[in-house]
Amino acid sequence: MKAHAFLPCVVATLLAFSLPASTSARADEWGTLKGRFVFGGDAPVAAELKADKDVEVCGKHKLLAEELVVGADKGVANVVVFVRDKGVKVHPDFAGPGDKVVLDNKDCRFDPHVAVVRTGQTLVIKNSDTVGHNSNVATIKNSPSNNLIPAGGEAPVTFSSEEAIPAQVTCNIHPWMKSWLVIRPNPYAAVSKADGTFELKNVPAGGELELQIWHEKAGYVGEVTIAGKAEKIAKGRKKVKVAAGDNDLGEMVLDANLFKK
Amino acid sequence: MTFIIMHRRTSHTLAGLAICLTALTGCGKTPPAYFRPNMVEATKQRLTPDQEQQVSTILLAMFGTPDEPVCLPETGLDEAKLRLAAGPVRSDIVGRKNGLYREHCAHCHGVTGDALGPTAAFLNPYPRDYRPGVFKFKSTERADKPTHADLVRVLHKGIPGTSMPSFALLPAAQVEALAEYVKYLSIRGETELALMRAYFELDDDAQGKLPETREFLIDETLAVVADKWKAAADAEIQVPPMPADIDLVASIAKGKELFYGGKANCVKCHGVTGLGDGQANDYDDWNKAIVEIGKELSSGATAAREASTSGMSPEELAEHRGQLAWLEKFGKVLDGDALEPRTIPPRNLRHGIYRGGRRPIDLYYRIHAGINGAPMPAAKGTVPPEDIWHIVNYVRSLPYELDGELGADKPMLAKDRF
Repeated sequence: MKAHAFLPCVVATLLAFSLPASTSARADEWGTLKGRFVFGGDAPVAAELKADKDVEVCGKHKLLAEELVVGADKGVANVVVFVRDKGVKVHPDFAGPGDKVVLDNKDCRFDPHVAVVRTGQTLVIKNSDTVGHNSNVATIKNSPSNNLIPAGGEAPVTFSSEEAIPAQVTCNIHPWMKSWLVIRPNPYAAVSKADGTFELKNVPAGGELELQIWHEKAGYVGEVTIAGKAEKIAKGRKKVKVAAGDNDLGEMVLDANLFKK
Repeated sequence: MTFIIMHRRTSHTLAGLAICLTALTGCGKTPPAYFRPNMVEATKQRLTPDQEQQVSTILLAMFGTPDEPVCLPETGLDEAKLRLAAGPVRSDIVGRKNGLYREHCAHCHGVTGDALGPTAAFLNPYPRDYRPGVFKFKSTERADKPTHADLVRVLHKGIPGTSMPSFALLPAAQVEALAEYVKYLSIRGETELALMRAYFELDDDAQGKLPETREFLIDETLAVVADKWKAAADAEIQVPPMPADIDLVASIAKGKELFYGGKANCVKCHGVTGLGDGQANDYDDWNKAIVEIGKELSSGATAAREASTSGMSPEELAEHRGQLAWLEKFGKVLDGDALEPRTIPPRNLRHGIYRGGRRPIDLYYRIHAGINGAPMPAAKGTVPPEDIWHIVNYVRSLPYELDGELGADKPMLAKDRF
């Protein structure tokens, strides 16, 4: 009993000590990592998908294969970049499990094509379409799930373990629908946008971090070319030095051959 | 027979040894049975021969051999039961039958439980591969393991509509031993998969070797697999009983509405006729894995063949050759360690044949939790329990439904129906 009465006191003391520590999260201790993935070769033309189920709804949309999306400026979209270091220091802005992440079944495709969640963060799989879907989440370390998501419905999912490889999410009713779920133990994961750019904000500065780079068609990217110099990166692992402020990795060319598997 | 099911890629020394042994002992002796490594996963993970060897050594220490099973306390398995099921078919000192797994199961499910027994290729559907630890017909949630009673029920009843027979005529103790042995093979197979996948996550300073520590091997690997099996005992789905005073005719009508409705969406796969003709080109998880590897291999092989070697540096050339060799190896592995993938048709609900059991509660479990490993999704959370009971009642009425969506208002001939 006595010990319990004492507890708030201990917590208060701990808080008092941790406060100056968190205010010391000064700008010079954190940096932003950014860069752009560029396709090394002639930009491929995305194949058109055939919507042969629920044609009256799904047939209205022009559905394109999204396994390799290269923009007009050769930017490669949907490349995943995350910090691999275990126990990496996390910026106080990321305290807590984070906001909900939404994976929508919209226009008979998954939006976004690649979603990122942290362990403990809630992923809401929802359905904005007028037809029913199901979302088959093929995780390996976490319990896989496959729930019906009726029109307008949603299903929350959380994950307790990180996954070494992004998990595929598919819809069995509409077999062309595919997406990927990146499950990481920290908030430092990004997906390149349509122009190929990505940004990891508030990563710890003043040291080296190990990035891991993945793309659904290339797998863990084995080689990047920066300023004309090809660099082999086994298992997509690339060490980078991070200074306070902006760290621009520049244009990273991913050779067309990497995607031929 | 042992020769037939012998691993195709047995090293030359082993094959040589077998020949020597045959020469020494005559024809009566067969070499001891052994567990086949999961070569599909080993090749997929690009394990080196040393790494393959490390996995085999760890598994040998953890699980023993098909003749001498070992069960560590963390598995929660009963070694006495395993010994009854393991080994060659024989009688022990008190005249009790031993080697039950090889007598009843191995010809389809394989000595390793990899569903690559000699008869497997001739069956449709293929026998279950226990190694991923995924089972369809059970009373637990989709991702959970089956309970022991679930496995015993499948052994007891068989699986109607498949080649899996009923073992109801075996004494209860033998069925018990077999269910325990299936769990053993499953835990072994899942542990093997976890070990093979762990190489990818190693840091560079590990030099490609898994740490042989108790913490990693037991606490982080074996116990994680085994705990899921232990948890299944208390994970049975709590089913609210079907209301005793339910109006069956009204319930069937409601179930029909749900079947065709957008919420339960049964119609999308089972078809407007219920004949299972809605969705014909999907795969179950076991077959899908092989299909996807196959696709990756064929496009990789095309790319490698088309690549020009003229501008390659010696290092690039070496890597290119390595890639070609790997593609060829994987092609061979698939040839011997995987069966030709087949699509999984949704169940024809007008046959009245229910693989996972015909009791109303069996159908309730299938609809509530979906079917693990198969495309069938879970309705729980979307369809409330009383509605699931309505769907159960409608599905159970389908084999006897004469009119309706088939468009016939008089009894049909069986040949027209199916």
